[in-house]
Amino acid sequence: MPLTSDEVSEIRKILGREPTAEELAMFEAQWSEHCSYKSSRILLKLLPTEGKHVLVGPGKDAPAVKVFSNWVVVFKIESHNHPSAVDPYNGAATGIGGIVRDILTLGAKPVALLDMLYMGNPRNSHANWLIRGIVKGISDYGNRIGVPTVAGDTFFDEAFNTQPLVNVACVGIAKTGDIVLDSPKPGDVIAIIGNSTGRDGLLGSSFASKPLSDDVDKDIGAVQVGDALTEKLLIDSIQVLVKKKLVKYVKDLGGGGLTTAISETAADHGLGVVIHLEKLHIREKLTPLELLVSESQERMLIVVDPSKINEVEEVLTKFDLAYSFIGYFTDDGVIRVYFNRIKVAEVPAKELAKPRPIRRASTPPQEALKGLKPVFALPPEPDYRKAILSIVSSPNVASKRWIYEQYDYEVGIRTVVKPGYGDAAVLRLLDGSKRGIAVKGDANPRYTALDPFNGAANSVGECFRNLVAVGSKPIAIVDELNAGNPEKPEHFWYFEMMLKGVAWMAEELKLPVVGGKVSFYNEDHMGKQIKPTATIVGVGKIENIDNAMTMGFKESGSAIAIVGVTYPELGGSEYLYRLFGVEEGEIPKPRPVSEIRNARFILKAISLGFVNAVHDVSIGGASIAVAEMAITGKLGFEIDVSKIYARGIQRIDEVLFSETQARYVVEVKRDRIEDFKKLANKLGVRVSIVGNVIDKPSVVIWNGSRVVASFDLNELAYEYENELEKDLESGA
Amino acid sequence: MARIAILKFPGTNCDEDVHNVLKNVIGIESEIVWYKDFSLRNWDAVIIPGGFSYGDWLRAGAIAANTQAIEELRNAVDEGVPVLGICNGFQILVEANLLPGALLPNENSRFVCRWVRTCVKNPKGPWLSLVSDGQVLDMPVAHAEGRYYIDEETYKSVASSSPIIRYCPGFNPNGSLYDVAGIATEDGLILGLMPHPERASEDVLAPKGFRAGGRAIFESIAYSLKRGW
Repeated sequence: MPLTSDEVSEIRKILGREPTAEELAMFEAQWSEHCSYKSSRILLKLLPTEGKHVLVGPGKDAPAVKVFSNWVVVFKIESHNHPSAVDPYNGAATGIGGIVRDILTLGAKPVALLDMLYMGNPRNSHANWLIRGIVKGISDYGNRIGVPTVAGDTFFDEAFNTQPLVNVACVGIAKTGDIVLDSPKPGDVIAIIGNSTGRDGLLGSSFASKPLSDDVDKDIGAVQVGDALTEKLLIDSIQVLVKKKLVKYVKDLGGGGLTTAISETAADHGLGVVIHLEKLHIREKLTPLELLVSESQERMLIVVDPSKINEVEEVLTKFDLAYSFIGYFTDDGVIRVYFNRIKVAEVPAKELAKPRPIRRASTPPQEALKGLKPVFALPPEPDYRKAILSIVSSPNVASKRWIYEQYDYEVGIRTVVKPGYGDAAVLRLLDGSKRGIAVKGDANPRYTALDPFNGAANSVGECFRNLVAVGSKPIAIVDELNAGNPEKPEHFWYFEMMLKGVAWMAEELKLPVVGGKVSFYNEDHMGKQIKPTATIVGVGKIENIDNAMTMGFKESGSAIAIVGVTYPELGGSEYLYRLFGVEEGEIPKPRPVSEIRNARFILKAISLGFVNAVHDVSIGGASIAVAEMAITGKLGFEIDVSKIYARGIQRIDEVLFSETQARYVVEVKRDRIEDFKKLANKLGVRVSIVGNVIDKPSVVIWNGSRVVASFDLNELAYEYENELEKDLESGA
Repeated sequence: MARIAILKFPGTNCDEDVHNVLKNVIGIESEIVWYKDFSLRNWDAVIIPGGFSYGDWLRAGAIAANTQAIEELRNAVDEGVPVLGICNGFQILVEANLLPGALLPNENSRFVCRWVRTCVKNPKGPWLSLVSDGQVLDMPVAHAEGRYYIDEETYKSVASSSPIIRYCPGFNPNGSLYDVAGIATEDGLILGLMPHPERASEDVLAPKGFRAGGRAIFESIAYSLKRGW
């Protein structure tokens, strides 16, 4: 978004004169919504950010949490929605590049990538082109840099046909003492390392801070092009520079390019800067203005003590990495930019780095009523056999193998629980111990579109549950809020409610929100907001990876238990949408007290060895969760839904497909059923033993003495495993 | 004490994984060697690990195959130093004509990461010394250009005498001819394979239904070097 006239007069006041063209471009980049959080900053203060594990909270390039006594986990989320709508391949690829560099800024080693993709109907030809481009972009870039893509989330919905949401997260680890938390001092030298600067991505952050043009081809110049090989060399060389203690500070050149990297580093430390732009290594001849705001990828800023310059050069030369020393820090708080000895900009760092926050108006739109009333008249009961087949084959439920097999999820030899096997990925630390971490990302755009507060709270709840289901203790989360135009009160309301929902649930679950990202202007060229979405990525700790839990059934004869109470909560469910095209009604309630109590029980049952498999109940409901466990474990089952502990249920579909939160399906070892029940009693948790795992490839769902639905397991598995691939291949 | 060089190019990304397995699982000394620093010296064996050397520009492995480091490697081979190429390392060895055949883009033109079951035929040489004929080895693949191609005549002569690692029926992930997953020189001194043995050297990394089959290859080299290969 170009600067408003108010902002230009503000800049005149700051400078006490007319700004130069270079200065205006710097302000435009830095004051863009993407870089400055001007519309969201006031509300972001509501998020709980503190906790005993938090080492670095929000505000830096990446937050850090202390997970084990001598290990720190650094993780961060970012979106690349606008570029991915225009050029899906490069848009998604550069999203990966940027998030990995954020992790490098603290000196951590990137060990996992997650991608949370909210995309259009795979059978729509444009959406299909976007989906394939996005997945290939992530695959080509992520695989080449040697960081495994281990987990993620997807949701397919017509609302994203032209504007997908591409949220990527990276997780890094570091020994406590190796984290780079030094401060630059006056006299320290600034080097830019990596890719040469070109004309790509000029004012990309400003592009990301406005709606897409009517004709998206016009926006293509704002998309950057990725170079994974240079990124890999950056990763390798920064590990060495950090280990040898040769750098004092590291910063990514992301949105806003050189301008943002310099102004934020200076402002954060009360310093000034002198920069000589002609020293920057370049790919083509650029004007000083272009040099200041180019968002060419794979570039980082490092701060070096003048006495260490030679050693730094040695490392960079070894790794064939280009670099240039472009300036140094001063103590006067002023950024001075020269080009061939002519001063082109002189700006106070603090004023440049942070525009005044804006208090945006917020009004609930008429549409929001759809999520406020219960579903009064349910459609007539369908054939449940057909209904279950239809839901397991829905793109939102079906196996995502077509996507995750394009990602190298094995590199690094840490991935203990791999995609498709469990509710979250489990990675070992590889330090000779059995310790590990679990990671997962979640969102439900349908929930947040119907009820942004409770929908966002449910994203936190689901992420929490997924981490618990694999046997890890959730430690912290980061959030990514994707909303429409903050200047429109009816769009801003969704953002405000989502943020409050995340804040409330995180507080209740005692999960600090250590960082995050906001992306606005996610609307189509007609000004229609795409489904507002709250994506949560969480990290859990696990003491012994040998006890990490997967979701596939393991053994015939063991019991199937449903943990938690089921309520008639079909509003916003996959069932109503997939079977009847209905997308309304009250969504399932977040129940933080049950979440905590049930999670404690699950973790205890896992550690005591009572269970063989755990799976959280999410989209599709309990019947779909059990089916997924059978398909994954290649073992059939028999359950009786009349045994499910439920309240207020009138019809069988409410038991089968209700998406009530805080529930798990558990495979209990045959000889531990009584122990399992006793533990549940002791902890005040409601469990229902509903059936058994059987050694035949068949599935029977009873309601008392009547069969509700029965399947050949292979038939169910076929629908689950092949439908998404068929959809994706058919729309091509 | 035997020492193994792990040859690293710009874009190599499995070097630390191989190093970790050799050190912590097998207990044999190794060192990651940057391609500019690689010389014949006193290495007892060389492993070229997986990754995307030079970003897979041109064809996978083509640029690395034309570096001074590979010239040095040819001299090492002449002196009887065992060489293992994994994934991108296999691609480099094929591009350098140290192994026969070619590696083409996967049949479905997509990158594929998946556990597969392979079967070893005619094992011999330092990398397969502890592997028996017909032994099944489970390992994951992760590549975009792993479809092995070889002309019929060459294949016939190779198949009759050289060790071959084949994908078991139903496990060919890329459309490789004759289900070839890996191939060696006749004496087994140079072995190249697309699956990643370093990712399959510990039981904790094998998903349900698979076993860690890669370990046998590293145990073989340790055994072979100890006996004075």
